[in-house]
Amino acid sequence: MNFRDIPPWEFVSKAVAHRHNHGHSGHTHFWQRAMSRRQFTRTAACAAALGASLGSGFSWPGLVSAHEAHEPKPIPGGTPLLGGAFHVFGPGVLDPPGAEPSTITDFNGFIGLAFISGTVTRTNTVTGEVRALPFVNSDMRFMKGVFKGTDGRIHQGAFAFV
Amino acid sequence: MDVYEPGPGPQIHDLNPSTFPPTGLFWTIEIPGDGIRVNLGNGRASLEADDVPIFDYRDFQNALFGGGPAPKPGSVSFLVNWSGMNERLNIRNEDPVYGGFAGEFIRNTAQMEWTATVGDLTFASAPLATSSSSFAEIGQERNGSFFP
Repeated sequence: MNFRDIPPWEFVSKAVAHRHNHGHSGHTHFWQRAMSRRQFTRTAACAAALGASLGSGFSWPGLVSAHEAHEPKPIPGGTPLLGGAFHVFGPGVLDPPGAEPSTITDFNGFIGLAFISGTVTRTNTVTGEVRALPFVNSDMRFMKGVFKGTDGRIHQGAFAFV
Repeated sequence: MDVYEPGPGPQIHDLNPSTFPPTGLFWTIEIPGDGIRVNLGNGRASLEADDVPIFDYRDFQNALFGGGPAPKPGSVSFLVNWSGMNERLNIRNEDPVYGGFAGEFIRNTAQMEWTATVGDLTFASAPLATSSSSFAEIGQERNGSFFP
């Protein structure tokens, strides 16, 4: 996550509008369908394997509904710069350094957060084009410990924020 | 992962694991437990995962608000290392906006190396030692029903 290209006023105005219109205007894409993160986690590997054979218009099958009960819950708030619409803070960069670094609520465990910059080489395997590009303030986090899931029970888990 | 044109110019890749819109658990995905190691005694921690499914949304605005091209599925592998102990903090934040948690934290530094594949594109970062962090911390915290 990197906020540097968007003026604060634009964040808030877009976030407010986003609360009233969850989608890309005028289009319907397969990825606009509401799906829980856990569903995505469980199905993404299958989808990646199936994608080539099913083509770009494939939909996400309901393979993982049984796992939803273990899903962690997002923190209740979010950065004011995004109008509170997204359940994340940016401690030390976007928000005060002492802001909540976790994205999971009812959580007790280890946490790590970093905004990291460097260089990456991008290769187009079809054209052979190779470019050196900067990655800037990439937001990487981990959470490892216990959490109360959507089923109200305590679970152990490890999570990465990418 | 946030990749830009040199300069840096405009953002051209935004790799995150979320489907659109990211209104639930934000850009957070479960990984195997042994991919996270923490030693608060010496200020070190590591985060490592392979073949994590992501989408390339092109840029941050499209990832949050849409309006741009449809995201492309791909995968990313990464290793992040935290080290050092610039500052030790005990935080109890009861602020109604930013708070609702308590914990012990270490402000330090972090570095990362990563690879990714999105369609015909492959990405391979420079070695871990060439990267740098603008802000980094590790710690142990409790929030929600575990707080106070």
